Order: sequence, then structure tokens, then C-alpha cells
Amino acid sequence: MADNNNQISLSIFKKRWLKFKTMKRGYYSFVILLWMYGLSFLLPLFINNRALIVNFEDTYYFPAVADLIPGVNAYYAGEEFNQDVPGEAKYRLLKEDWETSDSENWLIMPFYPFSPYEDITTKGNKMYDPPSSTHWLGTDDTGRDVFARLCYAFNISISFALVLTVLNYVIGVSIGGAMGYFGGIFDLFFQRILEIWSSLPMLFVVIIMSSILKPSFLLLIFIYTLVNWIMLTYLMRAEFYREKTKDYVSAALSMGQTNSKIIFKHILPNSLVPVITYFPFSVVGGIMALVGLDYLGFGLPPPTPSWGQMLGVGLQNITKWWMVFSPVTAEFLTLLSIVFIGEAVREAFDPKVYSRLR
Amino acid sequence: MSQHNTLVDVKNLHVHFPVFGGVFSKKVASVKAVDGVSFSIGKNETVGMVGESGCGKTTVGRAMINILYHVAPDVEISGNINYRFENSIVDFASLHPKKMQQYRSKVQMIFQDPYASLNPRMTVAQIISEPLQIHKNMSSKDMEDRVAWLLDKVGLRLEQAKRFPHEFSGGQRQRIGIARTLATNPELIICDEPVSALDVSIQAQVINLMMDLQDEFNLSYLFIAHDLSVVEHISDKIIVMYLGNIVEMGDSSEVYHHPRHPYSRSLLSAVPLPDPTRKNKTRVVLQGDIPTPMNKPSGCAFRTRCPIAKPECAGDIPSLVDTGSEHWVACPVVREAN
Repeated sequence: MADNNNQISLSIFKKRWLKFKTMKRGYYSFVILLWMYGLSFLLPLFINNRALIVNFEDTYYFPAVADLIPGVNAYYAGEEFNQDVPGEAKYRLLKEDWETSDSENWLIMPFYPFSPYEDITTKGNKMYDPPSSTHWLGTDDTGRDVFARLCYAFNISISFALVLTVLNYVIGVSIGGAMGYFGGIFDLFFQRILEIWSSLPMLFVVIIMSSILKPSFLLLIFIYTLVNWIMLTYLMRAEFYREKTKDYVSAALSMGQTNSKIIFKHILPNSLVPVITYFPFSVVGGIMALVGLDYLGFGLPPPTPSWGQMLGVGLQNITKWWMVFSPVTAEFLTLLSIVFIGEAVREAFDPKVYSRLR
Repeated sequence: MSQHNTLVDVKNLHVHFPVFGGVFSKKVASVKAVDGVSFSIGKNETVGMVGESGCGKTTVGRAMINILYHVAPDVEISGNINYRFENSIVDFASLHPKKMQQYRSKVQMIFQDPYASLNPRMTVAQIISEPLQIHKNMSSKDMEDRVAWLLDKVGLRLEQAKRFPHEFSGGQRQRIGIARTLATNPELIICDEPVSALDVSIQAQVINLMMDLQDEFNLSYLFIAHDLSVVEHISDKIIVMYLGNIVEMGDSSEVYHHPRHPYSRSLLSAVPLPDPTRKNKTRVVLQGDIPTPMNKPSGCAFRTRCPIAKPECAGDIPSLVDTGSEHWVACPVVREAN
């Protein structure tokens, strides 16, 4: 009773967050990754072959910004800027022309003026260009810039893994939780379904489905969720079974609390520990899954930038070191930092204190 | 006990948990946790219930607030648990769970383990106001006032309301549990070994608090415990249970000081005396183990361990008979010897 009144009370979650923050390796990985992922949504502003700002005959155009906003047309034909090229304006050439001809018009290119989709057909692009100050990580077998593709693939990989994991979690937690809480016939029925489902050869199902249907980002997530949703149900079922026999649930029942309140207010917050500690590793799994599928050629349709596809092309051209080195390094660093996060989260949620490597 | 002073009347309560087995999951046996128990609790009365582990005390308590079906959906309950609330008689044993809702606030429970009975993710204020949110249509200001008042009643400070359960000691947590049960103005509180997880000095505090609250709010208690001296202190009436049956029932001091049933005698002779100079009464040590409630001995369930058993004990199940002055004993051998 000797506590002073100014002492701040912390919820368990807050305590764990504070403990997570003390785990430097995991915390900084988390912060860096979060920033990078957030910034990667603005990639069209940094890495793009479309100009940020074009001032042509006293009118401003913002093609790169338009690129960022879905539904807004970022296409400006070359003729609009008096450029004699077929199709879309070539902003890099335009910039050179205007600078050499001392024109009134001007434009600002993004920081890294190459797009992940620009291939050999664009003037000036070469196949297998080794890394240089123009193409930082060289170009690939179709003349596309490796660095640009690497960055765009980062966003796609993480988004894929996050959406996949969240979806799996929502399904897994609700079905597993309901199995554990209600038990009986419902539990029995879903247990059999899970057993049948888990005996399916997952990779083959995914490959067959994505070779029949034309895969897109959302379809791939759907296919993967279809085979992966069982991942968490067993865990949640066991957690709910254990938690529902605890006295605080009996207390809530005896005061007449409704089932849904008991599930969401009492049991769920107390059974999220395995879910949260498992989350980063699940994201790692999602990234690996996409890389694997892309590598085999059943993933996202070309020319979507993806690490798996880059790795595949790189291995076919193993002598061009930059094409293998770049995706492997990017993947390695990303997965490593997510594993660091996972390790720190697990540590933060562990009631026991271990001596650990910092 | 006159009829209209009775709050709850338990009549011939059976609680059986079926055991399934075999290829087709047929019912092969049942655990007879409670096997024909009848007693009543009056208004403002404390009934102590004692017996060793597994004798069905807790099951009786949980049956009385009707939460057994939650963990064991197959549970078979028969008999009556008749509550008298404001001239309406409600039988909890046969009441549909949906109709149960309106009576939930009348009967509350204090749990044995104060570490497990409070949700670790809710603050004290949230825990105490939860029953209020369910049963009372209150503004948040009224709710706050009520929580503050309840905290004061159980001897906690208002600034502790923002704390989480893990920041309290065992005794303080049990007080939080008591405040939660008091929130809805219950008539009966079932105390399932409320002090057995606490150390002795804290036990006394909590027991005294409970007795004070009983006087203030006209509460009735069903006090389940295995510590006989505590039960004797708080109870008006003591029920001794063995293997799902009541073996002795009567006035608290009468049962405590003059136990008649051989089981009660051995139970009471095991109570430690805190005075080293006083020689303990002759200790009655029982032989053997408690039989499984799945396969109880015929006749008197206690006969396999009874020091005075006779061959007739294997016959009929002995019924509780009044030996005078409301002291009920379920042992014909003892009654004959009288």
C-alpha cells in the first residue's frame, strides 16, 4: 500500500510496448522498416521516368504526382510538349532538349529518373548494363533498371505479406476462437474441415490455381488465404479453450455478460499473445511465399516488379552479378529486420527474463 | 426456519457430468458430482459448506448461479434451486439461460483465486463497473460515483481505480472481487473458498469485511471452504459434504463442537489448534482414499472409510434425519448408538 499517488499505471500492452522499445535491434528494425514501407507508397515521386513538374508554355503539369493518385491520368503524349516521339512524352530527353536549346520551358525530374517498366524499347536503355552512376544497380535482361524495380518490389512484397497475414489472422482468429468458445458440434465440424484442409498439398494447389486463373495481386492473396487460413485456427482454439475456463470468464458469465462481449472484451485480449508474437514470422512467410511463386513464374504477372522474378532472371544470367546480388541482398535485409522485430516482440511478450544478446 | 424468510431452497439437487466413450461416443458413465443435495439459505444468513476436495462443494455453488453449462455443455442438472425474489419464485435449475439474465444481478459469486478472477487487461474501475453496465441503466457520472462508493466500502482508495489487477496484492484483489459482486445489490453471494488463497492475517481482514458488508446490505452467503475454523467463525449453519451428499447439517457451533457423523468428526479432529499447550482431541485418521464419484459405493458412500461401518451400511443410502434441535445427520449407526 506504500505506492505513491503520482505513479502511472500501465496496462499490460503498454508495458510490453515499453519493453519492446528497450530491445534496440528489434525496435530500430521496426522503425526503419515502418518508415521505408510508408515512404515506399510515395515511390512514384522519387523513382519515376515521369517528371515531377513540367512548365510548358506557362502551364504546369504534374505527371509524377498524377501517377501517385489512382484514377488520375498521368499520360501526356509527346506532342503536348512539342516533342517528336511516338506515344508518351520522354521527359529525360525533353529535359536535355530544353536545357541545350535554352528554352523558356523547364521540368524537374524525380530524384532517380527511371521507371521499373522502362525496357530496351526506350531510347538509351541497354541490356545487361553494369552498375554505374546512371543505373545504380545496372539493368536486367530487358533493359529495365534494377534499382527501380527493387524499390517497387519492396512495396509490393511487404503489402502482399501484410494483407495476406492480416486476412489469415482475421479468419483464423474468428474461426479458431469460435471453435474454442462454443465447442461441441461446431468445434467437431471445423476440426474435421481443418484436418482435410491441412492435408492438401498447398504449393501445388496454389500453382494449379494460379496457372488456370490469371493471377493478380488480389487473386494471389485470395488463393493464398484459401490454403493458409488454417494456420492460426488451432492456436486460437487452444487459447480460447484455456481462457474460457478461467474464473474471470465465469465471473463475467455470472453477472450475465453476453457471449460476444465475453469473447471480444474478456477472452480475445487475453489470448492474443501467440497471435502477436507470431505475426512478424507470418509476414516473413508471406514474403517468402510471393518470392517463391514469382521465381517459379506463377506469381504476379510480368512486368510487375518482384524479387522472385528478378532472382529467376538473375540466376539465368549468373555472370551478371548485379542481377543476382541485388534481389538477394534486398530480400535478406528485409527478412532479417523482420526477424529482428519478431525476436524483440517475442522477447517483450515473454514473462520470463532471459539474458540475451543485445 | 420459517418459509417466507427463506431466500433459496435447494431440493434434491443432482449434478452429473456424463462421460463419453467407445467408438460412437456413447455415454458410458457419469461423474456424480452432486447427488441429491437439499438445503436452504435464509435471508441474511450465512451457510458454510465444508468437505474435502472433490466432494462437490464448488459444483453446488456454480449450479446455484447456473454457469456450469458454459464449461460442460453436457451437464445434467435435476432437482430444484428455488429462489424467492420479491414474492416471485424462480427455479434456476430449469430456467432457460435467456430468462436467467434478469436474475443474474441477484446472485453473485466471489471466486477462490483472486489472481484468476479479475481480467488482467481491465482497470479496477472497468472491472467494477462491468456489472453496472449490464444491469443498471446509469450515466457514466453515476457509474463513477458508484464505483468510488464501492471502492470505499471494501477499503480501497479511489485513485486505485485506474490501476490494473496485477498492481495489487492478493487481499486487495479479493476486495476488488467483492466490490464487483456488490455492485448490483445482490441478495445472495456465493463465496467459493474466498480466503483460501490468502495468508492468515489477510484472511481475517477479508472475513471481517464480508461480515460487515453482510450486516450493512442484508446479504446472504453460501460460504464454501475447507478451513473449518473460518467457516465456524462466519457461518450460522454448517453443511458437511462427502462425495456429493450432505452427511451432516446443523447449527454452526453445534456441528463444530458436537459433530455426530463419523466423517465430520474426522474432519474436525484435523483442525489445527493454535495453542501449543492444549492437547489436541483424539485425532481420527481415515483409512484409504476417497472413492471416485464415477463409481460410488452402494448405500452410504462413506462406508469404505468409516471407522464404525456395519454390514447394513451397504444397503440403502442413509437419509438426513433430524436428531433434535435442527441437527441433521445421515448416519443410522450414530443415531442408534444414541
